This record gives sequence, structure tokens and C-alpha cells, in this order.
Amino acid sequence: MRAPAEWAKWAKWHGYWFAPETAEHLALVRVISYSLLFAIYLPFDDRGWTQVSPVFWMPISWFRTLSGPPRDAALIGVLQMLWKASLLTSAIGFVSRLSMATAAALGYFLLGLPNCFGKIHHLDGFPVLLLCILAVSRCADALSADRALRKSRKAPIAVSGQYTWPVRLAQTLFLLVFFAAGYAKLRNSGLAWMTAANMRSIWLGELFTHTPPTRLGSFLAQSTWLCQFAAVATVTVELSALPALFFRRLRVLTLVGLLGMQALIALMLGVYFTPHLAGYALFLPWERCYKKLHG
Amino acid sequence: MPTQALRFASLTIIACLAVTGFDIVTGLEHWPFGSYPMYSTLYSGQLSWLRLYGATDQGEIPLRDDRDFAPFDQARLIVALERLRSAPGGNQKLDEALRNLILLYNRRRKALRALRLYSVSWTLRRGLQGSEPPATRTLIAQVTAGAAEAGR
Repeated sequence: MRAPAEWAKWAKWHGYWFAPETAEHLALVRVISYSLLFAIYLPFDDRGWTQVSPVFWMPISWFRTLSGPPRDAALIGVLQMLWKASLLTSAIGFVSRLSMATAAALGYFLLGLPNCFGKIHHLDGFPVLLLCILAVSRCADALSADRALRKSRKAPIAVSGQYTWPVRLAQTLFLLVFFAAGYAKLRNSGLAWMTAANMRSIWLGELFTHTPPTRLGSFLAQSTWLCQFAAVATVTVELSALPALFFRRLRVLTLVGLLGMQALIALMLGVYFTPHLAGYALFLPWERCYKKLHG
Repeated sequence: MPTQALRFASLTIIACLAVTGFDIVTGLEHWPFGSYPMYSTLYSGQLSWLRLYGATDQGEIPLRDDRDFAPFDQARLIVALERLRSAPGGNQKLDEALRNLILLYNRRRKALRALRLYSVSWTLRRGLQGSEPPATRTLIAQVTAGAAEAGR
């Protein structure tokens, strides 16, 4: 038998991940996530990588099992079309299981491929995790074309923990992305990272190494106080992502701070975290909007 | 919630958190998980970087647009070149890389007679706009369009 303390821990764990939710709650996340990812990745094109010399091939993760970079542009083109179609069919919940498995598998391959040519861009890791989580979830139990087409199927369970954990896990992994970034700064540089001089060097350096859309970095770098504030605020907001998992009010503040920070990064450094919009969308009250719309 | 579904969900959650936690603590990357170390090192007031220049009929021009060597963007390309440079047999690899890059560039514009890779540096001070020429510039490698075409 479990001791009372052990039960309390289990109840907390269970309550965090498996507090019952409706099938619509998860289904709405499915619709929004796949639709957003489809819109974001519509212009995405990997075919160019087939023209890049194998000398650049520096595979990561499971790509190490490949014998070399893919050379067939037509094949990549077909895979891309299949992937984008699967994002769309997953959004509407048509042939859901196959669609979502295809979206996850091809998403891993197509979004991972560019990272095998010298540098991992930390933009597409989270969307791939989101696709994998949704693929193994029961997110097509409601609001899906499959359900509409097969009316004889039994109705989804009214509320269940099955409709909670996928959203909770995706939210957790999304916030941990930022906590990891904050922790990495302290691990690699210590408190010295949070100095005005360091922040100024980052802002000014990016003017030469990237192509930012504005000269805001140059303008703001003139103020020592702003550099100092930005350095401290960056690490503080990023580290707050961990406690934000557990405190709802802090979560709102943290998410607003992170979104603002990424908007400034786009303007000042020219690094666009557009795929992360799918992560922010996970925290919006879609079910409340849906219920309002349906009276 | 059925027991089997609960077990599967718990295992998935634990596995995801374990890999994420491991990467965060160790600083390793198991993509799509990661430790997100971007901009985590200390930046000094001296910036050293690699930059590609193209030799055209009008002279030498810096090539720093993200579309110049598509599908590479500048950030990925320069890090890749830096990694090749510091790898064993770096010079040979850089030559091969530049031969490929000049073909990628000329496929769209057919304007470069040669491609040169320089190590460049700036002293970072207030008021810089990003368009200033580097304070120092050292040639590392170069290829001509003819040599690249011949090596196809």
C-alpha cells in the first residue's frame, strides 16, 4: 500500500497532467495548431538542400543513420507536398490517425534536414515536438471530419484526462524551451552575461552578422541603462518560465514577456521565431471562445 | 481514464521531461529537444567573423544577403564554414565548399568571377550602423567560377 505522502504526490502529479477536460478542448488545440503550422510552413522549401555539396553534411540526431544528404529534389518536393497536405487534413480531422502520423514523421524529416548543414536553428524543434504529441493523442475525438463522416461511431467520452495531458505536455515543453535558454546563459557565462557591455556587444554584433530589418539595436545600444535592463530582464523572463508552469498569474506575465522579447529579437537581430506562435497559441482559451460562438 | 492509456501518457510525459531535463543540465542537443544555447556565451567588444566576398566585373562586393547562397542563410552558412575550417583537412573542405557556393550563387545571377572567404573583425562601439567596413580583413580561401565549373 502507498503511504499518505506518496498518495499526495501522486494526486498532485495526476491533477497536473490528467485533470479531466472535454474532447473539444483538445480538438480545438488540434485545429489551431495544425492550421497555424500549415500557414507558417506553406512557403517552406527543402529542395535546395539537394544542391548543396556533401562537404556541408553534418547530420544530427536520427539523420546520422542516413548515408548522406538527400540528392533527389523531386522526391523532397513530393514529401513536402504530402507533409503540407497532412497538416491540412490533420487540422480538419480527416483520416486523422494517418494524417497526424504523416505530419509528425515528415515534419521531423523536413524540418530537421536544414539543421544537418552546419548549424541547428532553434526555431523548428518545438513544432516537431508538438506534431509528435498530437499524433499520439486523441485530439480527433471531436470536431473532426472523421467523426462527422462516421456517425455510427460511439460518442467521445464527455470529459477525461486523455484530453488534458497532450496540451499540458506541449505547454510544458514550450515553456522549458525558454527556461533552457536562460539556464544556458548562466551555465556558459555566469552572472557576467547580465552586464550592459555584453548586451551591447550582442546588439551591435548582430548588425554585422545578421540582416536585421531595423537599426533599433544600434539606437538602443547607445544607452548603458537600457542595455543593463535588457540583459537582466532577458534572463529573468526566461528563467521565470519554469515556475510559470505552476503559477497561472506568473504564466500570463511570463508569456507576455517572452512574446515581447521575441518581437524585439526579430526587430533588432533579424531572427524570426514565427513557428513559436503555435506554442503561444496553446495558452489561449480556445474552448471559451468556441462556447461563446456556439451560444 | 483507462489504465493502459494512463500508462502510455505517463511514460510519454516522463520520457519527454527526461530528455528535456538531460539536455538542459548537460548542454547537449538531441534535436528536436535541445539546450537552446543561442547567445549564451560572453561577447567581447571585438567581433571576429567570416564573410564572403564576390569578385565581379565592377570589383569586390560583400555577400551578406540571406538569399545569396540559398538555401543557406547567413547565420547557418558562416557557422558551417567555421566548422569546416576547424575540421581536419579544413583547407581542402573549404575549397570544396566555396566551389559549391559559387555555383549556388551563379545559378541565380551568373555574376561572380571568383568567391573569396575572409576573416573580418570590427571593434564594437556605440553608434555603429552595421554598414561599416571591417577594421581588419584576412583572406582565408578563394575559388574562381571557372575552377568551380570544371570541378562539377
